[in-house]
Amino acid sequence: MKKIIKIEKIVMLFLILMVGLASCTKDLDITPQDDQDLLGEDFFTNDVAYKELLAGVYANLSLTGVDGPGSSFIQGLDAGTSQFGRVLLYLQTLSADQMIWSYENDPGTREIQRNIWNADDPILLGMFGRTHATIAFANNFLRETTADKLAEKNVSDATKNEIVTYRAEARLLRALSYYYMMDLFGQANFTTENDAINAQPIAYNRQQLFDYIESELLAIEGDLSEPMAVEHGRASKGVAWMILAKIYLNAEVYIGEPKYTEALDNCKKIIAGGYSLATNYLHNFMADNNTNSAANEIIFPLISDGTYVQNYGPTTVMINGSVGSIETNGAALGVSAGGWGGALRLRKEFVELFDASIFNADTRNTIISEGRSREITDISDQDQGFILEKYSNANSTGGFGVDQTFVDTDFPLFRLADVYLMYAEAHLRGGSGANPTDLVNYINQLRTRANNPQDNLTISDITLDFIIDERARELHWEAHRRQDLIRFGRYTGGNYNWVWKGNGTNGISLPDFRKIYPIPAASLAINPSLTQNDGY
Amino acid sequence: MNLLLNPKSNLQLLFNKLYMKKFKLFLIGILLTSSFTMFAQQTIKGVVKEKTTGQPLPGVSIIVKGTTTGTQTDFDGNFSLDKVKTGDILLFQYLGFANKEITIGTNFNITVQLDESAEQLDEIIVVGYGTTTVKDATGSVEAITAKEMTKGNIVTAENLISGRVAGVNITTSGAPGSGSEIRIRGGSSLGASNDPLIVIDGLPLSGVDLNSINPNDIESFSVLKDASATAIYGARGANGVIIITTKKGRTEYSLDYDYQVGFGEIKDRISVFDGDSFRQLVNQRMPSMANLLGSANTNWQDEVLQESVSTQHNLSVRGQIFGFIPTRLSVNFSEIEGNILTSQFDRNTVSLSMNPSFFDDHLKVSLNYNRAFVIERFADAGQINAALRYDPTQPVYDSTSPFGSFYQHITRTPGGVLVDNGTRNPVAALLQNDNRSNRFRQFGNLKIDYKLHFLPEVTASVSAGFDQSVQDGTFFSPLTSPANYTDLFIGGEGEYTNESLNENFNATLNYINTFGKWKTDVMVGYDYQSFDGNGNSSGNIRNPNDVGFTSYVNTPVVLVGFLARTNLTFNEKYLLTLNYRRDGTSRFGPANRWGNFGGAALAWRMSDEDFLKDSKVISELKLRASYGVNGQQDGIPGDLYLDRYRFGNQNSQYLFGGTPIQSTIPSPRSSLKWENTATFELGVDYGLFDNRISGSLNVYQKNSTDLLANVAVADGSNFTNRVTQNIGDLRVNGVEFAVNSDIIKTEDLNWNINFNSAFLKREIVDLGADQDILIGGIAGGTGRTVQLYREGFAPFSFFQYKQLYDAYGAPIEGAYVDLNGDGNIDSSDLAIIGNPLPDFTFGFQSNFNYKNFDFAFNLRASVGNYLYNNVNSSLAQYDLIQDNAVLGNIPTSVLNTNFNTTSDVIVSDIYLENASFLRMDNITLGYTFDRPIKKFASNSIRLWAGMQNVFTITNYTGLDPELGTGGIDNTNYPRPRTILVGANIKF
Repeated sequence: MKKIIKIEKIVMLFLILMVGLASCTKDLDITPQDDQDLLGEDFFTNDVAYKELLAGVYANLSLTGVDGPGSSFIQGLDAGTSQFGRVLLYLQTLSADQMIWSYENDPGTREIQRNIWNADDPILLGMFGRTHATIAFANNFLRETTADKLAEKNVSDATKNEIVTYRAEARLLRALSYYYMMDLFGQANFTTENDAINAQPIAYNRQQLFDYIESELLAIEGDLSEPMAVEHGRASKGVAWMILAKIYLNAEVYIGEPKYTEALDNCKKIIAGGYSLATNYLHNFMADNNTNSAANEIIFPLISDGTYVQNYGPTTVMINGSVGSIETNGAALGVSAGGWGGALRLRKEFVELFDASIFNADTRNTIISEGRSREITDISDQDQGFILEKYSNANSTGGFGVDQTFVDTDFPLFRLADVYLMYAEAHLRGGSGANPTDLVNYINQLRTRANNPQDNLTISDITLDFIIDERARELHWEAHRRQDLIRFGRYTGGNYNWVWKGNGTNGISLPDFRKIYPIPAASLAINPSLTQNDGY
Repeated sequence: MNLLLNPKSNLQLLFNKLYMKKFKLFLIGILLTSSFTMFAQQTIKGVVKEKTTGQPLPGVSIIVKGTTTGTQTDFDGNFSLDKVKTGDILLFQYLGFANKEITIGTNFNITVQLDESAEQLDEIIVVGYGTTTVKDATGSVEAITAKEMTKGNIVTAENLISGRVAGVNITTSGAPGSGSEIRIRGGSSLGASNDPLIVIDGLPLSGVDLNSINPNDIESFSVLKDASATAIYGARGANGVIIITTKKGRTEYSLDYDYQVGFGEIKDRISVFDGDSFRQLVNQRMPSMANLLGSANTNWQDEVLQESVSTQHNLSVRGQIFGFIPTRLSVNFSEIEGNILTSQFDRNTVSLSMNPSFFDDHLKVSLNYNRAFVIERFADAGQINAALRYDPTQPVYDSTSPFGSFYQHITRTPGGVLVDNGTRNPVAALLQNDNRSNRFRQFGNLKIDYKLHFLPEVTASVSAGFDQSVQDGTFFSPLTSPANYTDLFIGGEGEYTNESLNENFNATLNYINTFGKWKTDVMVGYDYQSFDGNGNSSGNIRNPNDVGFTSYVNTPVVLVGFLARTNLTFNEKYLLTLNYRRDGTSRFGPANRWGNFGGAALAWRMSDEDFLKDSKVISELKLRASYGVNGQQDGIPGDLYLDRYRFGNQNSQYLFGGTPIQSTIPSPRSSLKWENTATFELGVDYGLFDNRISGSLNVYQKNSTDLLANVAVADGSNFTNRVTQNIGDLRVNGVEFAVNSDIIKTEDLNWNINFNSAFLKREIVDLGADQDILIGGIAGGTGRTVQLYREGFAPFSFFQYKQLYDAYGAPIEGAYVDLNGDGNIDSSDLAIIGNPLPDFTFGFQSNFNYKNFDFAFNLRASVGNYLYNNVNSSLAQYDLIQDNAVLGNIPTSVLNTNFNTTSDVIVSDIYLENASFLRMDNITLGYTFDRPIKKFASNSIRLWAGMQNVFTITNYTGLDPELGTGGIDNTNYPRPRTILVGANIKF
């Protein structure tokens, strides 16, 4: 009996203790305390949040993370190796006949520039991961800006009106991402705002992606801003037309159907949109290309800024990387004298495009050859091969960008000169509706702008062979080359070999399967609905 | 009449006293409570001595069995206990010695000898939320007391048990005061933390940083290895638990002073070309750059390393203050010089412990409070690599140099400027960069145990503790420092702070009773702990384009646990322990927040059975079996379940219309649940020949499921490509064996040895999507990896190409075994070759005493561990003679391979080496002078000398086979060999 009383006492004591302590379990509900972090419920209390969130979708094309240029939320590789513009440059330019990267122990670079990549290449992982992150951010933007959600958050009518355009821009950036996936990998994980976070996505093939991109761009056209009528850095109708022009021009590659007339139509829309060529070719590649005459030519820039938008992106890489090991000419380019010690050089096939004397004074010819050999027999020897001085961190009005590593120079993802060349090409490939006078005029304008004495070409001079070379002269190191060579049937096979193609010193034939890249192994493993591309 | 039987009247008496007498008298009253409760009887006096040496033992606890009456011996081992009578049984207890019971006869002046045989069955072992004895322990628990601790140049506390416990590996770099990697049974996690939980006097720490704790303050360690012992720590015990008990106050006065001085030197060098042979090499291999050669002969490794002198002072005082508070106060002053130029670690600690008891020991209060000030100057260990690399034909100083008179490479062109790329003068880098930190840490707890007056079988305990650390750091480099090209002639200056706070509260109720042959010990409890941290950094305030001021605040972590334990003993032979714990963590969302953990253990003291009782050989034999489940949630982000957004910092904005806008992105999301580790273990504790030989053998298997790891997520479905998820399973199989033997045990001569060994195998059983996860980034290629996680293999397995050799046995550059035979060497030809975890580890200690001489040494060995020699793989190639636009030295191991190009060979298995080793950590010899000062009744001086890092036998070609980070040996702070001299004075 006594014992029972004791046990009751123990139980009572214990219960009192437990009741007192159970309240402490509420402490398990925590909130982030860092001043860069906010819960969604707090973030969306302010109308400006929607524009900041849209800026986040755009910023993913320039930044790799939110904590400075070394930060990245795409993991498993160096931060810079998933910077969108940089990996795009690697996959479209370094993999072709214009560029050599000296430091082949940087993972993936050797395999890309020698065309011997496989599914483990980190650069492919970087591109696949980064681009899908843009898709996920766009989806999130669309999920958080439905009419219901906006009503719930009491968003003002003025903001609601702006959000109509923002939503169109988010869909545009998503379509842009799917466009690059279609071009590079021929597949993508297909997710929209209707899919839950962490839901297993289905895979879309090239045809499905083509149809989706086309229908999306047509659907949002009305909601997008008119060309040149939106803040610099945001996308207008011009960007939608540009992507349409690109997918139609390459439709035979993507879906086996010619769509050159549609390509022409969209080129015409862009040209009618009010863009004009920069007064100086090099303005497009300078630190102030957001304000100098290039602002009228560049249809869509990837923003870079030495203070606010620091990144290891394509312009930072190309400006620091093109400083010569012998020349130490960094000061002239607005970066440190030694730059990156001669990281980037030119393959000789590109140099040969400027060999004719008419290109000696062509402003597009920024090749430095003095004291250098044209041949690159040893990729790790930065003293071999010519170098290029196209991009710079200098302002057109004198002076330089604010930082000696992170340049102010925006990357011109799309610009008018490309549209002129596409216009001509679409016509030559059988598209109907081109005006031959305009066509000749567009090509000659590029020549005139470049100070090229041969600026009175006639329609018969403008052949497909001319176009592919002129595209190289005009658009080299702008992440177009691989796509162009594939469209011209010169990328794979042996009809055009450049140095180190296929890992041969003088170039060897590439099998056809290398027209598209393999799905990165990690991405394939985690989503079984993707199938590895043939040959890999 | 006994206080326990009639508490009411005695309490009244007590209160009467309180009102009648002065406060001081009240306190005396408390201490002498027994005098009000005992019948007046005789007084027994005596002395307690150590059996083997005859030394008096101070602080031995003496109680009259079955009562709470008791006392302690004074410094001379004397005691006196009033009011006892013939037939009373006195129980003598002393940590590290066997309990002894003496029945009082007619002699009221006795001499008692306590025996300190190797394995003491009644030795008290501290376990989670309580104590047990060796006899009653049902789990794999190992207790290490002061005399068993590893000796030598111990700066950080964990090194006191280095090599001492089977299955526990501790690796510490050579940086003064550097923390250690501690692994118990290899660790059971993949992506979550593999650190054990460390508990100091009941306060669980966050992490394993012990360098602000004075090793001299530590009384004992308990290492909890199996799940039945660790399950009471539920969520935090999966990787084992180390419980540290600090020295406590005593009633008798004593004073200890320790002094030691150490002279350290790094003897080994990585072999690189000297000036003359480098000149020859450049002329031969890169004549076009020969014009850059200088005329000096500089050994840059000698220039960046230094001999060091380190001193440690420890002073501790024990005694009773205000007549009723047993107190210990200790101070430590350590000045530890590092062996890389400018490296310094100074530590001052104060530790206070007070342990008063009230109401006839019904109320025990234990207060521990520690303050530490650590002042460090950090030397960049990366400068060792720069020293390997720097042109040996150039001098250290150049009076014409604009860079603070240090030689630096300048360009070839006239009026040359600093060469932008290429290694910088490492001596200048060390001397011109002044990076310091002042760290203040205070931690401690207050514990109150109350044995209920109305129910003495129940003890209620509450403990509240905190651990706070505040670090203020500064960095400075002068205008003339060329550390960074973009900062040229700007210099560097800035400061940073880091703060962390860990608060703990726990409460337990403990019920102990005996019912016939059944002994029960039931405990229930509650534990609350929170962790916060924040910090900021000014950036380089001299550089306007630097990132500038940044700050962070960690997402708080809160852990709440409810716990219960039952120990049941039948007939002192059959033991059962049951543990249960329910843990909640703020790291998981409400749906998955709570986890249930627990364990059960059975033990059979076979040696107490009739058929063994009289065995002359087997003195102790206990069979153990246990099973338990622990959880894991540490080492992962704590907010993945929340709907979070993160703004870009000042350099990560975007520009709309040329105006910065705060770009914001959603943060990764993941719904996580507990990682579980289930351990099954069988063990035998044995003692032979009256426990002259004793030890244990354990066999276990740990299965971790729902492993938390940062792995790939389907692209586009989350806001990242990798996020922490519950994936896969990991299995650890192991065998541990320990033997402790008193080989010689006589009055004058004692020799004790301890040997332990462990076999361990970790294997990834399942990895979710069955995909390899590449890990192990190396120097020599941005983002290049040499290791992976793959199903069926150990974590961190090396994944490299197999080198091809020519007919003469020389490696062929860039030629590898084409494993899949497709004619191409690509990533599908990478092979899994070894892993950094040893298959076997061994520890051996020897303690030898002859009269007043003592001699001890310690050996450790490790077999089957591989190490990737990243120093050779990233530097030992001829092309690297050209270091961008300057010349660079390379290791002479290039003569063995004749390799030219780093990128062609860096993933070759030629750089993967078997790093098995045998090492003597320390050796000490001491002599003790007894009572050198006759004036005092008891005092002693011990003088000793020793050596740390005596030798290492290994085939590994790098500097140290133990110092690879996760199996990759690149720039590590090398460990010095230190000669030590010390004195220990006791009063």
